[in-house]
Amino acid sequence: MATQPILQIHQLQKKFGRFQALKDITFSVNAGEVFGFIGPNGAGKSTTIRVLLGLIRATGGSATIFGQDVWHDSVTIHQRLAYVPGDVYLWPNLTGGEIIDLLLKMNGTAHSDKTDALIKQFGLDPTKKARTYSKGNRQKVALIAAFSQDADFYIFDEPTSGLDPLNERVFQEAVLDLKQRGKAVLLSSHILSEVERMCDRIGIIREGQIIETGSLAEMRHLTRTMVTVTLGDDFDVTTLPGVHGVTAGHQAHEWQFAVEDSQLATIMATLAQHQVMALQSTPPTLEDLFMHYYTGKE
Amino acid sequence: MSRYGRTGQLIRLAFRRDRFRILMWIVILAALMASVAWKFEDIYGTQSEIAAIKGTLASPGIVAMFGAFSFKGKVTTAEIFANEMLLFMALIQVVMNLALSVHATRGEEDLGITELVRSHAVGTAAPLAAAAWELVIVNGLLGILYSVGLTAANMPGASLEGNWLIGIGLATTGLLFGFLGLLTAQVADHSASATGIAYTLFGISYLARMITDVQHPRLTWWSPLGWVEKLAPYNDANWLPVWLSLATALILFGLAVMANNRRDLGAGALTTRPGKRRASAFLRGPLSLLWRRQRNVIIAWILAVIIFGVAYGTVFNTIGDILKTNPTMQQVFGAAMVHEANHKVLLSFTSLLAVVMAAVATIPGIQLILKAHTDETRGWLEAVYARPVSRTRLFFSYVGPAFLTSTLAYIGGLGGIVVMGDASLDHVKDGISAHEFWQGIAGQLPEIWVFLGIAVLLVGCWPRIKTFTWLYLALGFVSVYMGSLLKLPSWVKNVTPAGWMPRIPQHAVDWTTFSWMIGLAIVLVIVGWLGYRRRDLQMR
Repeated sequence: MATQPILQIHQLQKKFGRFQALKDITFSVNAGEVFGFIGPNGAGKSTTIRVLLGLIRATGGSATIFGQDVWHDSVTIHQRLAYVPGDVYLWPNLTGGEIIDLLLKMNGTAHSDKTDALIKQFGLDPTKKARTYSKGNRQKVALIAAFSQDADFYIFDEPTSGLDPLNERVFQEAVLDLKQRGKAVLLSSHILSEVERMCDRIGIIREGQIIETGSLAEMRHLTRTMVTVTLGDDFDVTTLPGVHGVTAGHQAHEWQFAVEDSQLATIMATLAQHQVMALQSTPPTLEDLFMHYYTGKE
Repeated sequence: MSRYGRTGQLIRLAFRRDRFRILMWIVILAALMASVAWKFEDIYGTQSEIAAIKGTLASPGIVAMFGAFSFKGKVTTAEIFANEMLLFMALIQVVMNLALSVHATRGEEDLGITELVRSHAVGTAAPLAAAAWELVIVNGLLGILYSVGLTAANMPGASLEGNWLIGIGLATTGLLFGFLGLLTAQVADHSASATGIAYTLFGISYLARMITDVQHPRLTWWSPLGWVEKLAPYNDANWLPVWLSLATALILFGLAVMANNRRDLGAGALTTRPGKRRASAFLRGPLSLLWRRQRNVIIAWILAVIIFGVAYGTVFNTIGDILKTNPTMQQVFGAAMVHEANHKVLLSFTSLLAVVMAAVATIPGIQLILKAHTDETRGWLEAVYARPVSRTRLFFSYVGPAFLTSTLAYIGGLGGIVVMGDASLDHVKDGISAHEFWQGIAGQLPEIWVFLGIAVLLVGCWPRIKTFTWLYLALGFVSVYMGSLLKLPSWVKNVTPAGWMPRIPQHAVDWTTFSWMIGLAIVLVIVGWLGYRRRDLQMR
């Protein structure tokens, strides 16, 4: 039996008055998968997530979690869902410890040994009033509550923007642990290295539209590989087919350029005839991909 | 860079930031003062009208509400005006000043704006000084507008000195409490706490004024709020209260500067203490969360209304004893008639107080209902809604406690008046009976619930205009409280639910009106609830 995706979004749309915030969002997230959701500020990431949580109502298309409608069945869905918002706002006169416990209780779970372990790992002082927490500490409160929960689907909206590198590591390990336990994770993030390291598949959103989904390996084929080469003769690399942005290097006969993946084999064969002395090729990073989609350049 | 460097720029910034709220306050207050003054000759122009109202104003019940004023010789229209309006205007102006002062100082600091400002080349005390100047300018401007308005109205018996004394006297009273707000904003470590302390002190000065006014008006000098009564602008102009207010304001500002210099940014003398490591077993859902967050406010409101009621009750014996003002009456009419008359006076006094209590008791309920939307826009509900918590459950976690709080506060307040009042009487039978008390409860609860229902409707369907609820409540209060003194046309009273029911317990409850008002409140709540279930939540 083919397993049904945990999250399924089909041509989702949302209008705020005249402003079309979401035009066409279509993607799905499967069990045991970490899905990276990337895009610049204002592209519609948080709006999409708020539709998924039933906080706002879609004006078109459909979205289901566990096969249930995100608006009508939100309460049922939320029993098996954990969420960490991008900007965590906490009730100022409650302590972090009280908030963690309250959030857990509202899910029908309770404070466990795991919660204590997480509080220790993240280095949170749970006796402080939320009013006195920094942004990072507020995020920790929400993260600890989410990770102590035994949900089937986790949504993180830019969860590490206020965390230090040590806590970021703790977060990443916890997410990988979720993945191993077969949970589905939707991770919206600006930190592309984090997405690159953790996500199985990625969706890129621009101006309310998903413009690309797939694994990083699949996406790399859509862009160019950076090549740095030092040749033994005066060959002019600009004559090669499918190279872009050629620049001369620091030494004589050293070149840097980008190659379209489809032309890679031809170019390598040509270069081999010109006494290659050194060759470095770098696959496109997610950042390159991101820039490619957003600026239309490499 | 001096301590006050770039204060000037910050003052301009403050006016840019607060321009709408300042404009709204100034327009409303100045228009209120000028329009009442303008109309006043029509209301109390003739000697017979003046003589009639003079007796009313001297009765202890009215003294408790409007202050004790002394009349000498021939009483003029302007004197009556000063008597009715001075304390009332001062109260509104104090509310304005407390709101502006805490907002401009601790409010900005809570938002992190002060941190940003202080990182630039501005003096350490400049934000505080700018807030002080903002208050000086706003109060000064209002004072001038009052004086000019009064001069233009040209009431019989008014003098130029009296007009300016009222303007400047109200301005300095406002400033005094504004600077009190500046001080509490330095002492507390967040704005809610600063506002709470300031209002407690304001409440104490109000109660002190009321009790001393009824019993020993000379002692009213001990309450800063009582100083406005001592201006006596049109019969015996006295500038001493102005100087007293100014001196007190300066001392308060000095203390605020001292506190500001000694503290760290974001800190206060009353610091937020660490709390529990784990949540108690009680804290487990939206309802207990609201109680945990708001219990101090809810309890404080209910207690405050009860204390307010008890304080009014203490004057029953003075008010409800006609023989004190008219010793020959018993010989003329006989004891039974006198007791009957005493009872009538107390009934009428209690009816007026019931209006005040209902308005005051409605405030915490509206606050709680509007909080459902404030919390939403602050992002505090996002975490709750990501849990299996339905819209309905969360909505009624605010609406339920709101109705309960207002209801309890009103019953407590009226109970405080009646229990304390009856206990203070020499002849208990002159007092308010249990039946009359319950009539009083049934008479005002529908009005409270309709006001709350309107708040529910707006939060559910049109949250952007939720502030309208406050204006509507204010209109209802003013139209009933001041309506008969200002002889407002009866349609004004009928604009809000405050005027739909006859004065109770003076009159009997109209059960038809009672039923449809309850029905209306229920409809408002249901429509608001349906709207809330359908609409998008508003997040940052």
